[in-house]
Amino acid sequence: MANKIFNIAAISLLAVGTASCDNFLDIQPVGRVIITTAEEYRKMLTEAYSIVPEDRGLATFRSDEFVLNSSIQQEDLNSYLDIWLWDDVSPESTTATFNWRSYYQVLYEANYLIESKDKITEGTKEEIDQLVGEAYMLRAYMHFLLVNLYGEPYTALADPYASKAVPLKLDTDPYNVLSRNTVGEIYDQIISDMNSAEAYLNVEQWDTGYNYRFNTISVDALRSRVYLYMGRWDESLAASRRVLDVKSTLSDISTELPNRYNSVENIVALEQVMTSYYHRAGRVSSELFNSYDAAGDLRRVYYYNAGVNVSLNKGGSSEYSCSFRVGEIYLNAAEAALESSAGADAVQAARNYVLAVMKARYTASYYTAREAAVNAMSRDELREEIYAERRRELAFEGHRWFDLRRTTRPELTKTYRGTTYTLEHNDSRYTVRIPADAIEANPNLAN
Amino acid sequence: MKKYVLLLLLSFVSVSSALASVTIKGRVVDAENQEPLIGATVIVPEKALEAAGAGKRNVNAMTDVDGNFTLTVPDGVASIECRYVGYAPITVELKGDLDHVVIPMTAATTELSEVVVTGYQKIEKRKLTAAIQTVSVNDNMLGSAMSIDQALAGQVAGLSSVASTGAPGASPKIRIRGTASLNGTQEPLWVLDGIPLEGTTLPTMEDLKDIDEIYSTSIAGINPADIETITVLKDAAATAIYGARAANGVIVITTKTGKTGAPKVNFSTRITYSPKADIDRLNLLNSNEKVDLELELLGSDYTYRENKGQVARIIAAAGETAAYKSGGWGALSANTQAQINRLRSINTDWNDILFRNTVSQEYNLSVAGGNDKATYYTSVGYTDEQGNVVGVEANRLNVTAKATYRLSRKLRVGASLFANRRVNKSNLTDADGFTNPVYYSRRANPYQTPFNEDGSYNYDIDIQGREDSDLMFNIFEERDGTSYELETNSLTAIFDGEFRFNDYFKAVTQLGMQIDNSNKEEIADKETYAMRKDIDRTTLTGTSFLPDGGKKTTSTSTQRQVTWKLQGEYSQRFADIHEVELMAGSEIRKTWYESVSSTGYGYDRKTLQTKPVIYPNEDWADDYPLYAETYTENAFASFYATGSYSLLGRYTVGGSVRMDGSDMFGVAKKYRFLPLYSVSGLWRISDEPFMDSAEWLNNLALRVSYGIQGNIDKNTSSYVMGDYNNVTILPGNTEEIISVTTPPNSRLRWEKTKTFSTGVDFGVLNNAINLSVDFYNRNGSDLIAARMLPLETGYVQMLVNWASMRNTGVEVTIATRNIHTPNFMWTTNFNFAWNDNKVLREEIPSNQTTPGREGYPVGALFAIKSAGLDDEGYPLFYNKQGEKVTATELLKLNAAGASTLTAEEQRNLYSYIGSTDPLFSGGLMNTFTYKNWELSLNFIFNLKSFVRCSPSYSPTNYDRGMNSNRDILNRWTPTNTNTTFPRLMNSSDRPAEYSQYSEFTLYSMLDTWVKRNDHVRLQNLRLAYTLPSEISKKASMERVTIALEARNLFVFGADYTNYLDPETMGNEFAQPIPKSFSFNLNVTF
Repeated sequence: MANKIFNIAAISLLAVGTASCDNFLDIQPVGRVIITTAEEYRKMLTEAYSIVPEDRGLATFRSDEFVLNSSIQQEDLNSYLDIWLWDDVSPESTTATFNWRSYYQVLYEANYLIESKDKITEGTKEEIDQLVGEAYMLRAYMHFLLVNLYGEPYTALADPYASKAVPLKLDTDPYNVLSRNTVGEIYDQIISDMNSAEAYLNVEQWDTGYNYRFNTISVDALRSRVYLYMGRWDESLAASRRVLDVKSTLSDISTELPNRYNSVENIVALEQVMTSYYHRAGRVSSELFNSYDAAGDLRRVYYYNAGVNVSLNKGGSSEYSCSFRVGEIYLNAAEAALESSAGADAVQAARNYVLAVMKARYTASYYTAREAAVNAMSRDELREEIYAERRRELAFEGHRWFDLRRTTRPELTKTYRGTTYTLEHNDSRYTVRIPADAIEANPNLAN
Repeated sequence: MKKYVLLLLLSFVSVSSALASVTIKGRVVDAENQEPLIGATVIVPEKALEAAGAGKRNVNAMTDVDGNFTLTVPDGVASIECRYVGYAPITVELKGDLDHVVIPMTAATTELSEVVVTGYQKIEKRKLTAAIQTVSVNDNMLGSAMSIDQALAGQVAGLSSVASTGAPGASPKIRIRGTASLNGTQEPLWVLDGIPLEGTTLPTMEDLKDIDEIYSTSIAGINPADIETITVLKDAAATAIYGARAANGVIVITTKTGKTGAPKVNFSTRITYSPKADIDRLNLLNSNEKVDLELELLGSDYTYRENKGQVARIIAAAGETAAYKSGGWGALSANTQAQINRLRSINTDWNDILFRNTVSQEYNLSVAGGNDKATYYTSVGYTDEQGNVVGVEANRLNVTAKATYRLSRKLRVGASLFANRRVNKSNLTDADGFTNPVYYSRRANPYQTPFNEDGSYNYDIDIQGREDSDLMFNIFEERDGTSYELETNSLTAIFDGEFRFNDYFKAVTQLGMQIDNSNKEEIADKETYAMRKDIDRTTLTGTSFLPDGGKKTTSTSTQRQVTWKLQGEYSQRFADIHEVELMAGSEIRKTWYESVSSTGYGYDRKTLQTKPVIYPNEDWADDYPLYAETYTENAFASFYATGSYSLLGRYTVGGSVRMDGSDMFGVAKKYRFLPLYSVSGLWRISDEPFMDSAEWLNNLALRVSYGIQGNIDKNTSSYVMGDYNNVTILPGNTEEIISVTTPPNSRLRWEKTKTFSTGVDFGVLNNAINLSVDFYNRNGSDLIAARMLPLETGYVQMLVNWASMRNTGVEVTIATRNIHTPNFMWTTNFNFAWNDNKVLREEIPSNQTTPGREGYPVGALFAIKSAGLDDEGYPLFYNKQGEKVTATELLKLNAAGASTLTAEEQRNLYSYIGSTDPLFSGGLMNTFTYKNWELSLNFIFNLKSFVRCSPSYSPTNYDRGMNSNRDILNRWTPTNTNTTFPRLMNSSDRPAEYSQYSEFTLYSMLDTWVKRNDHVRLQNLRLAYTLPSEISKKASMERVTIALEARNLFVFGADYTNYLDPETMGNEFAQPIPKSFSFNLNVTF
């Protein structure tokens, strides 16, 4: 009898246990998710946007825009001094490093989205297409930043297909150990990704606050820059023109800084460039500050705070997020037109583009004076003027270091504690070293 | 005719039964606690039957659940015999009241009588097929250990315990039978009275930050004085029933229970004195040496942090730097020389002023007793341990209450409550580690004084970075102005019930609940380096956005679990020949973990107020968060069964099986359950008839077992999974994001471990010598481990099934009674383990630049052979051809100092040196008893193990502003060429090599830095005196023991120059393992 009771009890217990077990184990973890819907892919892509490195801002220390001196906080000197002094051989261990993995983390998420474009659920075709287009744009832009940090400048190379830069990452396979691709191969891929993106993107303008995302016009904005960096002037000029056809208003600098995330000029407000850390860690170089005409250049007042140490107004928070804006496109167009094969018309076109920027930034009287001067300039003088205007207009927006690299790679000197440090003309340090931890994880990168 | 015969037979039977038999009724009980013994055999011996002239051959009965029996015996039988497993057989004369015979049985004294508690079952040792070892916990074993895990070193063969730091309450790393799995925890599973504990995982201790992190595992909450025994389950036969979590072995804690009888009161106390460690072993520079070094370096071409150190500062202030560089000492002005010489006369003994001698205390009081209806055990304990570092301490208050009730003949219930509150205090340490007194005492300059002459703080400006620090660091200010406290309140409750259906069946259920609530408080006052650093970091335009004052971070975490077990057990013996035991059950478990952390700025300890933070923008709000929260929940369901069959008490076979299911997210349901099983057998040779003649042999048994265990990583999925987060990319627009934290891995499989284990138990000469020898072979395949990924994958590492591995080992345990006279006894316990670990197969990712471990132990250390120095003081290396080459030649460095060799070529540069895991480990305990005196010595040893130490100094980044050990004095210089320590390098001389030494790991990979750390430690020395019972009885005390103990009195080791202890070698910043001396009093009333 007792046996029976026991058996019945045991069996029924086991039965109940097994039946309820699957339910018991079905715990939906808080805060974790398997990415399947378009909404979830969007959130993943938002994450990718949020981890895009601010290395264009860090490169500011390497260029000639900032001065570091004893007025800078200790901690900041420890982080940025050796970058500022181009000391790649014996930097302090506390020195900030240019990113490596973050680019590839963005690339992983972009690649994953591209790979799974046919598996995304619960989204309209437009939504999904837009996601895929943005992923291609992110892939193009990450490779573009990587090749310009760690690869030799395209324009300085006799054969871009002979100079190795960084690995192209076009899949999500974690077992794939890559080798470095050449500068030429990387640029080809960037161009191809921009073309792919163009086929998918369909949002013309994002609402304020979401305008860090790539839109339809951003493809030509990036093309304008990429072709400029390659010295493919006609294509750059054509892309700039297509942008300016749609969006050509320059901001009124007295009411809004042009690199504000919601300024009339902004095309893509992705990178902060001068983050709050970078922003406070340097003083504006007096040589740069003095290149703005004291009376006639409005930017001198609106971009900067004059004082013993000149400080910067245009940066230091996400308020000043700007990756592409109309001002840059005008200057790209000016430079590309000047260098293009179109001849005398082109020089005049270049003058018009640079004057358009000047008009928006100068007082009326100063503009009139400069207009006459520009119109009188020879081709070479005009080139110098475009470079100078570009330096002034796009100061502290992450362009200068890349511009120095792709143009003349001049000798730069800096003085700290009485010692002068020199970056020679065409110095190999115009290309940043691949971080040691990346080489340790993949020795192919040393070859 | 037939009728007659029938009649005749009937009358014969009736006559014989009527006239010639007696019915005896009685009860068999345990002599000690009067508990009934169920299933005891009451039998009339054959000889007694013969003597009585009875024809029957077999008269016996078995006791029921109340221990009662009824036996009808032929008339003339004068005595009966009673037998019960684990008890000495007893013969009872039949006289007096035969309706109420009480047979008290005494537990047998042989080893075999014992019962082993596995947490699921109690197994009689005679039927034990698995490798299980039990240690009884007593004052002698515990010494001054604050928690049980600290006392296990050297106690159990095959259990290695290595202390990582000497801080109070710190848990050692425990490994059972070597390293089984490389992923996740390698700690054994801890089980308290049948309920597996949560919260036993240790931090990895890989970086400095971890050492300063205070933590308190749930094991540290258990009062060792409440523990009766520790049982270590080592092989698959023993652990299979615990499932996947038991892959690293199981340690079962069995707490004390009340015994039937008058209440027993026990009081014990221990006062421990621990002197501060002597840091002479660190070989730090004294002021004179340091000043000379700084002078020499300033005159050399070594420019790294040239302006640091007091000497350079004095010379620079006098404007004589250039003069000194060209003209040397003589070029300095008399005033400058005098200032420098003044430094030589200051010798601050940082060790002396930062460390202290301590007295720690422990008190325990327990009351235990009971009757045949209920037993109880209650105790209260308090322990307070002071660390040698001022400000570091730990204390614990325990209250334990246990009771068992026999509600009826069939039902027994029990309840236990373990409550404790523990507090750990330490200093607040920042990421640089300077605020850690241990670190600072090794790095502070000997000529630096902590206070100015007027008593104000003298700030150290040499602490970090290229420039003189303006953050004003002073270790004493820091110690006074910061605090770091962890307070844990823990409650574990266990309810169990046992219902006995009849003599053979019973159902057992157990419900366990554990709540650990911990509250961590980190405070930095306004006037501290820690706070100044935060202020500095948040200063944007002249002022910080953080409010004026200090800061306080409070983190609260709660870990909860509920475990419910229900199992049925069947046990029956057939005709004294067959014994069958079967058990099946199910277990469900649910765990919750939540944590909340919040930070307040502008904090003032006096007013307890904080101030609001006005962030300049959202980015800063992300960097200085005020609030964070996490929550996880897991569920597990398991089914298990185990059974054994014994024939003639000599042959036993057993098996167990378990299915573990859990809520693995993103994993197909078919992977939710993994069956694990084991089979085992035992042959008790000494009970064979052919061994009857060997009277000297008490026990000889052979055990064999085989089992499969498995494990899977819960966090790896074959899908791309992400965690939700919030982000603000542009102002005013906060969005939800999903971050992909690990790449998916569809190739990840279960890792499996197959264990074969065999052992021999041997007892001779009345158990004067007991020997157990165990051999095991554990083959792990598809082992899961983190693989370093090329960063171009977007991730740093990923879990893969990378290898198969074998652990082969032999464990020997010898217990001997060497001398045994009425007054004097000498016993020895020796345990010894040899564990050979070998990686059988390893998939080496093509990007790996360090050698694979195939054919080597998993803890293999590889190094590059050093070949002295070249004639400029740069290291030379032996390449594989045995030639001496420079770093440039060895690694084919490119201009940036990176090796251009392929990963495979780089792998081939290394040679195998040794393993970090000791090949031999164990303990030796000798106990001498003379009358009332007892002396015991407990040695532990770990032999044949290696450690990679960090280099004494970096040839490129040696910071002259801080102190170091004396190896720097023996570096290569043009005048000191006969040395192995390289020169201090200048970045312009050989830039590629310079970059290699400063950015890459070559220098620390030299064989010079791999050292043996074998050691033998006198763990415990104890002299105890028990008052003669006549004296203690007069004071109405049952037993009084007084003991003096010394712990960690000395350690013999391989060369551990520059380190304090071989056990913490390789980490010069760990708190040293302290020596201690205790007085111990133990009184039972």
